[in-house]
Amino acid sequence: MSTSPSEPVVASDVTGLYFDGRSARAHAVTLRLAGKLLQIDGDGISRNDALGDVRLSEPMGVAPRLITFADGAHLEVRDHASLARLLAATGQRDAAHVRWAFDPRRVLLLLGVLLMSLWLTGRYGLPWAARMAAPHVPEAAVSALSVQTLAWLDQELMTPSGLPPQRRDVLARALRDHAVADGRRIEHTLLFRTGGRLGANAFALPDGTLIVTDELIALAEGDDEVLAVLAHELGHVQLRHGVRLLLQGSATALFMAWYFGDVGSLLASAPTLLMQAGYSRGMEGEADDFAVRMLLERGQSPALLAGMLEKLRAAHGRAGAEEGAGSWLSSHPDSAERMDRLRKGDFIVH
Amino acid sequence: MNNPFEPSGVTPTLHEADPAAPVAGDPFARVPEVWQREPLTFSGRGTEYFGIWITNLVLTLLTLGIYSAWAKVRRLQYFHRHTTLASAGFDYHGDPRAILKGRVIGLLLLLAYNLSFQFSTVAGLIVVAGLAAVMPMLLMRALRFRAHNSSWRGLRFGFDGDAAGAYSVFLKWPLFTLMTLGLLGPMWHQRMKQYQFKHARYGSAGFSIDVPVGLFYRIYGVAIGCVAAGAVTIFAGLAALAESMPSAFVLLPLLLLALMLFVQPYLSARVQNLLWNHTRLGEHRFESCVSARRLYAITMTNLLGVVLTLGLFLPFAAIRLARYRLECVTLLSAGSVDDFVAGQQREVAATGEEAADLFDVDIAL
Repeated sequence: MSTSPSEPVVASDVTGLYFDGRSARAHAVTLRLAGKLLQIDGDGISRNDALGDVRLSEPMGVAPRLITFADGAHLEVRDHASLARLLAATGQRDAAHVRWAFDPRRVLLLLGVLLMSLWLTGRYGLPWAARMAAPHVPEAAVSALSVQTLAWLDQELMTPSGLPPQRRDVLARALRDHAVADGRRIEHTLLFRTGGRLGANAFALPDGTLIVTDELIALAEGDDEVLAVLAHELGHVQLRHGVRLLLQGSATALFMAWYFGDVGSLLASAPTLLMQAGYSRGMEGEADDFAVRMLLERGQSPALLAGMLEKLRAAHGRAGAEEGAGSWLSSHPDSAERMDRLRKGDFIVH
Repeated sequence: MNNPFEPSGVTPTLHEADPAAPVAGDPFARVPEVWQREPLTFSGRGTEYFGIWITNLVLTLLTLGIYSAWAKVRRLQYFHRHTTLASAGFDYHGDPRAILKGRVIGLLLLLAYNLSFQFSTVAGLIVVAGLAAVMPMLLMRALRFRAHNSSWRGLRFGFDGDAAGAYSVFLKWPLFTLMTLGLLGPMWHQRMKQYQFKHARYGSAGFSIDVPVGLFYRIYGVAIGCVAAGAVTIFAGLAALAESMPSAFVLLPLLLLALMLFVQPYLSARVQNLLWNHTRLGEHRFESCVSARRLYAITMTNLLGVVLTLGLFLPFAAIRLARYRLECVTLLSAGSVDDFVAGQQREVAATGEEAADLFDVDIAL
């Protein structure tokens, strides 16, 4: 039940341009309301249409509103004040999304909703979706991508390792004994390289390829420390962090490309990179937890990983700012926080 | 002569034939004594469009992209309806459901393209070959959809380009351009624009265009000269800088992008003028006088605004750019624009336009 105003709104005549849809000729006409009928008169045109048979375009500022008839003819109205009175008399009401677009308070509210939902999606939605989707990415795609990445690294940054084969065998065998999660072996390949600009470094490719540099092995005091770092990298493989990063990165890039449209791909890629750095923080923690569990199972102290982190930080600090690109620490932020966590035993053991 | 379709009785200004207008060597028999100048006007406002833009954005995000088809229709309707020529507005009639269908197909094509190379080079090449075979048809249909769904004074625009022409300008000429290392690029551009304009019509009246290819080469010559000079300067500067700072070449892509941003407004201003100054609609002609300098200022301030506001300036930027580019165009009418009549009407699918949109191919007239 609606409470209708006691006095009906008086609708005045509305002027407009009538086009019949067959020629470009404009007819200056007058529109008025007669009960449930719209009457159009003037310049040789005279027609009556039921209100239900015509379509009215949404208001868009000073742009004309278009009343379209069933036979393809239309009326272009710029006499907005008179049309508003006529519409009020018919009880017509615009759709919600149309009213919102022209109400400053609603627009501000929408802006808030937008920023909030973007933040929530970026912070929780996207990582969650990537985590769910990661196990379903075909192995063929993962390994093709990893092979490409390794080829690029070998060509651009790394050179063959100078480590004696016996030492490599010892490390590879020790890692193979380590690489068990929930009673199942974790598929992996351990590769040795000279890091060059990468320096003392270790990283994992999504298909389970682990790469450790001679510089890192030289830095470590004994194999246990190397294995602690490799256990951390194995965590990235087991938890499919590479694939998740890739999925998140692609989704963010797709969104940015759509949002910024023609502004340029450079602008679109900058936030993507920023967000990736943010994401890897959580993943580093997960990989640390994984490594800690593995170390504890072998009766070793998590402090091994913390010690290695400290040495790596010192090594990269000495190397100076000009070596910046690709350093272990630049992709492993908050190492102080992580070392604290490892030493205090403030980690989750599942 | 009073404008017969002006309802408020305003007398339009009459001008002698503009000496700057390209009348020399006119192949058309009847040259009117006076051209009636009907400038395009644009009444869109940034604050208004911001509301539409943000509603579209939020609804698109909430519906995981599905609303984007409806959003596109609203956006185009806003720009069309705020564009006025000879006291009547333009309108856009695209069906959101057709657009959505096109977007889904476009997304699938894009996915096939991006994923195939991850599997194997052969699969990738097969997909590329398939796309090369399909894209010209999609682009042709995109032009048809866009034209067919635009109207002015109750009459639809149309596009009657054929498949042979589409394969020529969207497959043959790009290949020629590649094979000649870009030397035929301006000629490709000319052929493409001629294909677009020659087959366009308004109601039953056809557009026609006659641009000598030399004029395209002149514009590209200046642009390439600027790029070459700029690139040499950038390389020399970076090489000098690299002696003291080895990582200076990191700046290279950024500087080259800046160079492109510097040249792009010049190209688009000159090409717009060139095209419209050589286009006719029946006996009517057009005049476009976009200034590269003004367009450059608008583009740069827009970019600055967008960056500083993390994109919230985008709707304002779109309005500013549209206003300037549209209001630089004038219709020089040879007689009454009342005389146009409707052409054939038929439904056109949106697939082409949407797929082309996703692949980022600029096909705007």
